[in-house]
Amino acid sequence: MSDEQTPAAWRVVVVDDHAMFRSGVKHDIGGHVQLVGEGEDVPTAVAAILTAVPDVVLLDVHLPGGGGMEVIKQVSAVEPGVKFLALSVSDAAEDVIGIIRAGARGYVTKSIAADELIEAIARVATGDAVFSPRLAGFVLDAFSGAIDVASIDEDLDRLSQREREVLRLIARGYAYKEIARELFISIKTVETHVSSVLRKLQLSNRHQLTRWATDRKLV
Amino acid sequence: MTNPNPPGSTRPLDAAWIGGVCAGLAAQLGWPVLVVRAAFVILGAVGLIGVLVYLVLWLLMPGQRDDRRPLGLESHARTGMRSVGEVKLSGVDAGAAFALALVGGGLLWLVQVGGWGLRPFDLLAGSLAAVGLGLVWWQADRTSTREVRTGKGWRRLVAPLARGSAVVIVLVGLVLLAAAVVALSVAQTGLTEVGRLLLLVGSAIAALVLAVLPWLLRVRRALAQAQQDALLADARADMAAHLHDSVLQTLALIQRQAADPKKVTALARRQERELRQWLYGEEPASGSLVEALTEEMLDVESDHGVDVELVSVGDAELTGELSAIVRAAREAMVNAAKHSGAERIDVYAEVDPDLVSVYIRDRGVGFDLAEITDDRMGVRGSITERVKRAGGRAIIKTAPGQGTEVRLEVPR
Repeated sequence: MSDEQTPAAWRVVVVDDHAMFRSGVKHDIGGHVQLVGEGEDVPTAVAAILTAVPDVVLLDVHLPGGGGMEVIKQVSAVEPGVKFLALSVSDAAEDVIGIIRAGARGYVTKSIAADELIEAIARVATGDAVFSPRLAGFVLDAFSGAIDVASIDEDLDRLSQREREVLRLIARGYAYKEIARELFISIKTVETHVSSVLRKLQLSNRHQLTRWATDRKLV
Repeated sequence: MTNPNPPGSTRPLDAAWIGGVCAGLAAQLGWPVLVVRAAFVILGAVGLIGVLVYLVLWLLMPGQRDDRRPLGLESHARTGMRSVGEVKLSGVDAGAAFALALVGGGLLWLVQVGGWGLRPFDLLAGSLAAVGLGLVWWQADRTSTREVRTGKGWRRLVAPLARGSAVVIVLVGLVLLAAAVVALSVAQTGLTEVGRLLLLVGSAIAALVLAVLPWLLRVRRALAQAQQDALLADARADMAAHLHDSVLQTLALIQRQAADPKKVTALARRQERELRQWLYGEEPASGSLVEALTEEMLDVESDHGVDVELVSVGDAELTGELSAIVRAAREAMVNAAKHSGAERIDVYAEVDPDLVSVYIRDRGVGFDLAEITDDRMGVRGSITERVKRAGGRAIIKTAPGQGTEVRLEVPR
């Protein structure tokens, strides 16, 4: 979709503890990106990433040795430029919000189609964020109504009207291009809004956000 | 030594010389074990105080042996497919033990000769009792609880005793205890016959209770362990049953339908959803809007072999109006699955304080709203009218080649 990119140039490391999944991903996207390494647990992943210094790391959320969050923590301390796209079989809100707050620039489920995955890698590589419909739903939920008003003293604690609209369209299954058409804005503007939401998600110190993620009983 | 149950110390039996009390204390306090042992020996020489403290701690600290093995071995051991030996004793460091014994003996002699110690008969009685109890308890520690756990009825209480050397050791211990009781009552010179008899009987009973105590404690712990094992076995059986009912059946179905990729995908997707639900368990509340939508989604998925993605923000109790919106949503999903040609349908439900909206969207062929034929009554009858009757509205946005989005709204 992002025609101006040359996706074949993106250098990617795949981190997953299931060899079967790694080889499946390699088979699916190997022709479109340059695979420069892989890891199966936290130490091997960190070593592979620091050796290859890729553009994007496809990172499993659940990983022996501390999980994907630990990989992000260790790599970011040395190579803050490496970008992470989280992949998981689990849709649990706790995992999703957790890995985004650790620094991942996007989250997709493992059942994602190959072409969508390639597009997501390109988007993350160029510094944009990738929100699956489910992640958009989580964020809307996390930032929705029940905020205790006293804590809204920062911009970070609320989403703008426009950001909310964009997220709602993502949750409804719209691609960025379709969102741009729907809201009469450019794709670049859509990307800016999503990145801004990502920043708020990562930086907001609303304790509701973490609490929401951990003890939410979705009713 | 890493302590597997942090609160309170345990007696590491594989590092024990006698009961493992010193080794356990040393591990807990982070001191060298020899220092603790020396302290007990010195205290023991002074009126047997150290011995008494040692025995009390022996009772209070549960024994801990390192008998965790890989799961397969453990299960083989449990099912009796491999035999399990007794605890192996760590080699007692003969030099250190001899040195400590020498220090203790010398100090004891010094204290007794100096006149600060116990009277000789009391000392004799105390020593005999300590050694006797030590022997009985030592044997209690070293008898496997496995027979207790796996045995049936009364046999499991006696089974640990049914071994020659164990019986000899316990008997020697009991004889020593009896000697101690006799020595104690003989030592009390200022008593009448009746008083002496009472003392004899009383101390004999006390000695017996003390001798049996660790056995009773052990059996109680072993029974608790057996109960825990049974619970674990139940949990495993549940898991096996679940895997059999779900995953195994799906795998069998997939093999039989291997020629139909669409069916295979649908089966795999349904299984994936179910397994994920089971593993990460985020179940919507029963009787809620999201639960009802989830059911419809799964239904449409398996009936029509499409992928339906449901995302929800908030939830509400399923009232009559909301049931209408759920049925309308189902119709919209079925329409999209049947007519749009799209492989994926996105459903988004949002519950606001005063409005419930559900969006059903596909990227399929779309259609011209003005040309809805009568066989497309589904749209008008089951979607628009239904929502209108519930006090809401349905907005359909579509055009040929543009996909379709149905938006359903009901005020709360």
